[in-house]
Amino acid sequence: MSDGSMLNGQQAPAGTSALLAKARYGVVVRPPFYRWSDGRFASDRLVGVDKNSLASLSGPIDVVVEGDFVGVVADSLALATDAAKQLKVEWRTVRQAADKSPAKMPVEERHPPYASASHAYGWPSRMRWGNHPSWVIADYSDQQLRVWGQTATPVALKQDLNRLTALDVSQIELYSAVNNHSTQQASGLGRHCGDDAAVDAALMSRAVGNPVAVWLDARYAKDVEALGQAQRITLNADLSSDGEIARYRYQQANLTGEVAAVGLWLSGAAAIAELAEFPAGDNGTPPFSPYVFRDQYLAARSQPASLATNPTLIGIQQAFARESFLDEVARESEQDPIALRLRHLEDARGIELIESVAKRAEWQRSSNPSSESLSQDLLRGRGFAYSQLPDREQRVEAGVRSAWIADVEVNRITGDVQLTRLVVGQDAGPDIDTARLQQTLQARVLGEARPFLGHEPRFDEWGDGSRALTKHESSALAPTASWPTLYSPSASVAAVGEDVLTGAELSPGVAVIANALFDATGLRFRQPPFTANRVRQALEESSAEEAGRPSKPVKQSRSTKRRWLAAAAFTTIAGTAAMAWPWKGAIAPVSRPAANLYSAETIERGRLVAAAGDCAACHTSEGGVTNVGGRAFETPFGTLYSTNITPDEATGIGQWSYAAFERAMRHGISRNGSHLYPAFPYTAFAKTSDADLQALYAYLMAQPPVAAAKTTNELSFPFSVRALMAGWNTLYHDPAPFQPDPLQSELYNRGAYLAEGLGHCSACHSPRNAMGAEKSGGAYLAGAFVDGWEAPPLNTLSRAPVPWSEASLYDYLRQGESSLHGVASGPMAPVVAGLAELPEYDVRAIAHYVAAQMQAPAGNSDADVAGAEQRVASAALSAPELEAGERLFEGACAACHVASGVPTFSSASTNLALNTNLHSDHPDNVIQSILGGVHAEHVPGVGNMPGFADSFSNTQVADLATYLRARFAPEKAPWQQVEQRIADLRQPHHNNTHSTP
Amino acid sequence: MTLKLTINGQERELAVPPQSPLLNVLRNDLALNGPKYGCGLGECGACSVLIDGMAARSCVLPVSAAVGHNVTTLDGLAQDGQLDPVQQAFIDAQAAQCGYCLNGMIITIRGLLNHNAQPTAEQIRAALEHNLCRCGTHVEILQAAERAVVINAVALEETPYE
Repeated sequence: MSDGSMLNGQQAPAGTSALLAKARYGVVVRPPFYRWSDGRFASDRLVGVDKNSLASLSGPIDVVVEGDFVGVVADSLALATDAAKQLKVEWRTVRQAADKSPAKMPVEERHPPYASASHAYGWPSRMRWGNHPSWVIADYSDQQLRVWGQTATPVALKQDLNRLTALDVSQIELYSAVNNHSTQQASGLGRHCGDDAAVDAALMSRAVGNPVAVWLDARYAKDVEALGQAQRITLNADLSSDGEIARYRYQQANLTGEVAAVGLWLSGAAAIAELAEFPAGDNGTPPFSPYVFRDQYLAARSQPASLATNPTLIGIQQAFARESFLDEVARESEQDPIALRLRHLEDARGIELIESVAKRAEWQRSSNPSSESLSQDLLRGRGFAYSQLPDREQRVEAGVRSAWIADVEVNRITGDVQLTRLVVGQDAGPDIDTARLQQTLQARVLGEARPFLGHEPRFDEWGDGSRALTKHESSALAPTASWPTLYSPSASVAAVGEDVLTGAELSPGVAVIANALFDATGLRFRQPPFTANRVRQALEESSAEEAGRPSKPVKQSRSTKRRWLAAAAFTTIAGTAAMAWPWKGAIAPVSRPAANLYSAETIERGRLVAAAGDCAACHTSEGGVTNVGGRAFETPFGTLYSTNITPDEATGIGQWSYAAFERAMRHGISRNGSHLYPAFPYTAFAKTSDADLQALYAYLMAQPPVAAAKTTNELSFPFSVRALMAGWNTLYHDPAPFQPDPLQSELYNRGAYLAEGLGHCSACHSPRNAMGAEKSGGAYLAGAFVDGWEAPPLNTLSRAPVPWSEASLYDYLRQGESSLHGVASGPMAPVVAGLAELPEYDVRAIAHYVAAQMQAPAGNSDADVAGAEQRVASAALSAPELEAGERLFEGACAACHVASGVPTFSSASTNLALNTNLHSDHPDNVIQSILGGVHAEHVPGVGNMPGFADSFSNTQVADLATYLRARFAPEKAPWQQVEQRIADLRQPHHNNTHSTP
Repeated sequence: MTLKLTINGQERELAVPPQSPLLNVLRNDLALNGPKYGCGLGECGACSVLIDGMAARSCVLPVSAAVGHNVTTLDGLAQDGQLDPVQQAFIDAQAAQCGYCLNGMIITIRGLLNHNAQPTAEQIRAALEHNLCRCGTHVEILQAAERAVVINAVALEETPYE
């Protein structure tokens, strides 16, 4: 399945701007391997393209081949996407084993004190495209190129386009597709992949002689990864015995700081020129250092002048590397970072400024005045950075001195970094609005959702609900007819950086945060951006290393698992029980964590995690207190009761340490070492990320403790022997955390993470084998029976009369009702209620994932809707000869379920002819609904049907169910043995006297 | 927890379980005895009230479903001491035997006229199809309904647009 944004995008051409109407649609086919690394671009080489492989597709399709660049142009984005998928392309592999690992943010552990230091700092070649997929359109005609799109680096883009087309820069016009989302597009921290899309579009437009539109979305994230680091600065220092830096080496890999677009490299238009290293002061913009060392060497390799240079960006990169390095040297040699800098500064203006700023910010005082007041999940740190900025004539020596001190607060669970305080001193120039600067830095260097640095979504990121996809997509669907801003052709290179901050430069800003982050976490971030996900990932990795275990448990290979399955037998299970878990002992009880142990932010994240996992649905008995347990679960093995998960020390989980909690969630082992039964879906919860589990623990521990007596399970032997679960786990449980599928969209991976993990959809919707383990493979989400209800198939086996679509699934999950399918009832009702807590994006992601399992389309077609109307019409007319059932229906149901021609407030909103349950192979859900009714206690405003258990006999319910089936699902075979099924299901429902108010 | 309801034009704040049937709250907590308890299963219509001008069976609706909507009971149909045209028509036609179903009949006709001021005889019958009367007063009730259409039309003409 392609991702949802594309599916919506394909409807775009209808009635949108003249621009898109004229354009054709281009999709690129990148080589399996392509990478920029260490100043060189390498990729698989194109052998050939088989255009005959597109013969089955109708409509004109152009295949554009230029060097190793392959693109497909068609009259619709959908067709172009299909063609790109179908096109047979042969590549010759040039992949080298050493190149396998993608550029990773360098993070290193603290080293012991030492006499020399060597560190490297990186800068990404591309920022992400931002949050909002959008069109990039290029029109190459009459020796003129016009490009509509988004760029943070118009000068560099123009230069790329110039090299691509050999057109004069004056014949290349860039138009900004500015909408209200992209006002903060100007960067100063580098190019984003909109430039790559623009070059792709231009290349294809020139080849086909038509305007070409390219859909810039998550797929361009691959370019971001492939281009890796644009900049790598290596610093070395030798220290004398008194801690002075005796020898200082600064080597910059790439003075231009920017990397040409992928299309340019692939097509061969970017000539790969030799890099030349030249020392400071030779030509161009040499590396500059405000410090003086006894023995120093500063050098930068430069590419030919034909490549764009951005002095502002280079200034920021240099300051980041230099100031981070000095901070590292100071910390590792146990010197004060400011004192070390002052030792190497001869400039009186600078010294005075630094001293005054340090005094004003109370540098000497710890940033952590009272650690008790701080929640356990918060870390605080303070950092310093200093820089000398060029003056108007670009003279650095005469420029402005700027000293910064920043305080940060890091949430070690969520990874969020708050810039809590910023003190900036400058010895010249206009006054600085520090508050505004702080805001800007927070948003742009640390911000997760700003296009500026690009957020890097992870599958376990919890949105704030602001990522409403529809909104963004609709803006992309209907590109504004006017593309107002023309990038000024005379825009000076520096202007891009200046646009970011007025009155102060950004250059020390990135370093000061990196230094404060180190102070807080002990981790050195040697490449921006420092978004929450990256910070969290780094913290997770470091804590995993500390714990002396790999961060990701080694996944059992599939073949091994299969072999175990084949050998499954009771004796084998007993045999493996002893060796299955070497560490299933009790985990020592702890006293209940204090309520303020975790910050509000973490607890809030935990609340969302709990909502997605719907803990309360199972851990709350009917009418009972939330999460105190006691709810009964009928299983083929006996009755199980849910437990108290409030932090009560005696009867709840108050004495559980996080380690115990995590073990229970991932391995199904209680704190005392006994095994839990997989009615508790730890098989799914194991996929939850560490951060989410910790947040969930924080949330549960912050709830009021409630004491509740425990109800003993009633299981038959041998299932009552908990220890046997060890063998079960070996056979059926894979505790590996969720791994996103890199070939799928973010939306899909987010949906998969929620649905497979916390949402534990498969716990109900996948059939289980004789041992109570979920079946996988083709049986995954194939439907099952739980608690006397049928959980219908969520794969291609769906029996819905009108096929489900992604849009219907979203309505159903978000509103508890889909007009083409009916309402969420039974055990699904509390699930929808739980989902109501989640941001819209998450519910959309689940719908997207489930739709992919069903191979459902994005929306229902007109034919579907017409089919639904046809169904309703024919069910109104048909009168099968089932008198007893008809009488019951007319008396009990028709008042609400038959349209009288007058709208009423209490009538059912979905016609029974569309009800999925009536079309199922099993009558269970229909029987359940007749007996128990449909109640809206979980989803206000949806479904209020009384139960008829007290007024109908089994025969009457059977007559009614048979009648309903015949009238509303006439094409389906009648259900068999309905009355027997009713007798089985009636048990939990009341069957005594008629109740009166 | 309290629920805010708008009943017969008045704001009411009630501390009742959100799952209580609306009918119970109206009759027991607010002493509005126009709606009657009949079958308790939404089958007979005796409990009907108007919600946002549409008929609704209050015995099967949880009170929480009425939050944010305007509930009108038979008790609130009369305006400024003036009976609703439908009520007047039922009195004129003397369309009662035991009278237990009349709340539902009147509310349902009111709901019909709100939707369609000039219904045909068939449309009236269709609207009343699922309102049960066990005394056999159907003929009088249909006469009353037809009269209600006429009185209602006159009242509509007399009422100036507000």
